[in-house]
Amino acid sequence: MGRDAILKAIQKNKPSLIPLPEINLDAFEEPIDLLETFKEKVALVGGRIIALDAIKNIDSEIQKLYPNASKIISCIKESNLGTISISEKTNPHELEAVDLAIINGEFGVAENGAVWISEDNFPIRVLPFISNDLVIILNKEKLCSNLHEAYKLISERNRTFGLFISGPSKTADIEQCLVIGAQGAMSLTIILV
Amino acid sequence: MSHSKKAAIFNKDEAKVNWHDKALWYVREKRDNAAHGVKGWEYLRDTASKIKGNVLSNLDNYLIEFEANAIKNNIKVHWASNAEEHNKIVHKILEEHNAKNVVKSKSMLTEECHLNPFLEAKGIEVVDTDLGEYIVQIAEETPSHIVLPAIHKTKEEVDELFQEHLGTNPSNGNPEYLTNEARKHLLNKFIEADGAITGVNFAIAETGGIVVCTNEGNADMGAHLAPVHIACMGIEKIIPKEADLGVFLRLLARSATGQPITTYSSHFNKPAEGTEIHIVIVDNGRTEQLSREDFRSSLHCIRCGACMNTCPIYRRSGGHSYDATIPGPIGSILSPGKDLKKHSSLPFASTLCGSCSNVCPVKINIHEQLYKWRQIIVKEESQPVVKKSILKITGKVLGNRTLYNLVGKSARFMLKYAPRFMVYSKLNTWGKARELPEVKNENFDTWYKINRKNNG
Ligand code: SF4
Repeated sequence: MGRDAILKAIQKNKPSLIPLPEINLDAFEEPIDLLETFKEKVALVGGRIIALDAIKNIDSEIQKLYPNASKIISCIKESNLGTISISEKTNPHELEAVDLAIINGEFGVAENGAVWISEDNFPIRVLPFISNDLVIILNKEKLCSNLHEAYKLISERNRTFGLFISGPSKTADIEQCLVIGAQGAMSLTIILV
Repeated sequence: MSHSKKAAIFNKDEAKVNWHDKALWYVREKRDNAAHGVKGWEYLRDTASKIKGNVLSNLDNYLIEFEANAIKNNIKVHWASNAEEHNKIVHKILEEHNAKNVVKSKSMLTEECHLNPFLEAKGIEVVDTDLGEYIVQIAEETPSHIVLPAIHKTKEEVDELFQEHLGTNPSNGNPEYLTNEARKHLLNKFIEADGAITGVNFAIAETGGIVVCTNEGNADMGAHLAPVHIACMGIEKIIPKEADLGVFLRLLARSATGQPITTYSSHFNKPAEGTEIHIVIVDNGRTEQLSREDFRSSLHCIRCGACMNTCPIYRRSGGHSYDATIPGPIGSILSPGKDLKKHSSLPFASTLCGSCSNVCPVKINIHEQLYKWRQIIVKEESQPVVKKSILKITGKVLGNRTLYNLVGKSARFMLKYAPRFMVYSKLNTWGKARELPEVKNENFDTWYKINRKNNG
């Protein structure tokens, strides 16, 4: 059987134990402006970032950005734009023609413009990928500087499915020309409130 | 056919070679910019290397821990000693789900195991959904680079392929149009799929979860739409703790393409209601590599491709010249371990300049391992004449530590300031179709200055 043979071969061939290094996180600390760095990196990775004064304005803002979206799934209670409602029971294949999804993000990472989103923020896993466009609502206070900090923030989560998402889907597979909009969402807008 | 013979074929189309060379060097420069933007970058590399060192020294226990935690989370775990076992396991899972249409995201392991032809022979359609892999699949080729699979294709070639396979209109190779056509076609494939296969970037012992990184979103589209997700991983993909991802994800995309992180870094810990996740853990020669003290650290590799982008030989010879699943400097260490006879020319496809080792995010001493393979190969295999004379020089130099250090330094200096002269001298077959003859009316200095301006 593969398992025993592999484990035996490893035991025989591995070197003697090398300890795990202690990681000194101070080595990565920089005095950065979290919000400004985050905004800069979101733009760098092809995302759009908009800061709103009040959450009550999100619907008009989203309508301005996506005037043609008609099949909309909203997973946030502050928006009334949703035209399709989904639950854990929805067949993911029914989401094929969704124009726009609006979801909450949990926190942003300044060093790379990524936002952590998880199954808690959307009932069907494929939603943020299959939707033509994606809007993430993010509390502007919820930013951390780098991924080391980020993993501390998610260390206690209920582990099911979650991801760091950084900008819209993209590819450079044809002669290294960057094209925004590959198999996942064509655009990503982060609305900071 | 040896690497140099294949490289000579690649070098026939000089314009294309020049483009290939420059395109990859540009990616290397983007990597430099991204790396310089991170405080503590060298410490980060050092830490990554040490974590991987620990992983290899405790790999059996980490795998057992990983398996136990994955099973607790309802993930099914399989073990395969070799490619054949791997393919059979994947097929069996698909058969149990009666799956006939499979979508696959990038996985060098499944390339290594030749999974596609195996499944196709059993009547299962496999569609590669990474755009670059899709292009090489319809061209009936293999990836020529581990991160940029279709880097050897011009946009005009892609245009023609798409006209033939997707019925697109001629577009002079318009990347937006072609990408969008592929998007539409692949969306149908995702919707139809009854099975999804992905690779694994990292598998976390502490949690039993896996992380899959893509820019296109294709792994997630496949995995979340199909009723069964099969993730295939080599035994060396294990990392001890989830917090270690902080180290590796900071390094991976920056080293690969100069992005601060890939668009999607998806953490799979439990299957969604009504679906299954299977993980296939594969050896296929890795435990043997683990036994070779000199080459062991090649298993640190996180498949970023940086050593390819920076390698003067890779850039001028193309990935297919290596005739191996993993081309370039790291492939030239891994492949001889699998089949020394077939891949005996690969460790010679290097100037030993050390650029690969300098950029490697997990600090593999790639060029030193290449040299070590040369010593073994010279003892065991007969060498073609040109190689022998190169070898004599390198052998003499490397046999003497002081001399090696001296020459190493000057070689690095030369590569930085006079790459064409160094790399394309007459002895090197990779530079056969070079413009060296044009030098004859100028002295080297003038020629070099002009060419350096023109060729960056
Ligand atoms: S050997 Fe290092 S540089 Fe090359 S692909 Fe692997 S991790 Fe990247």
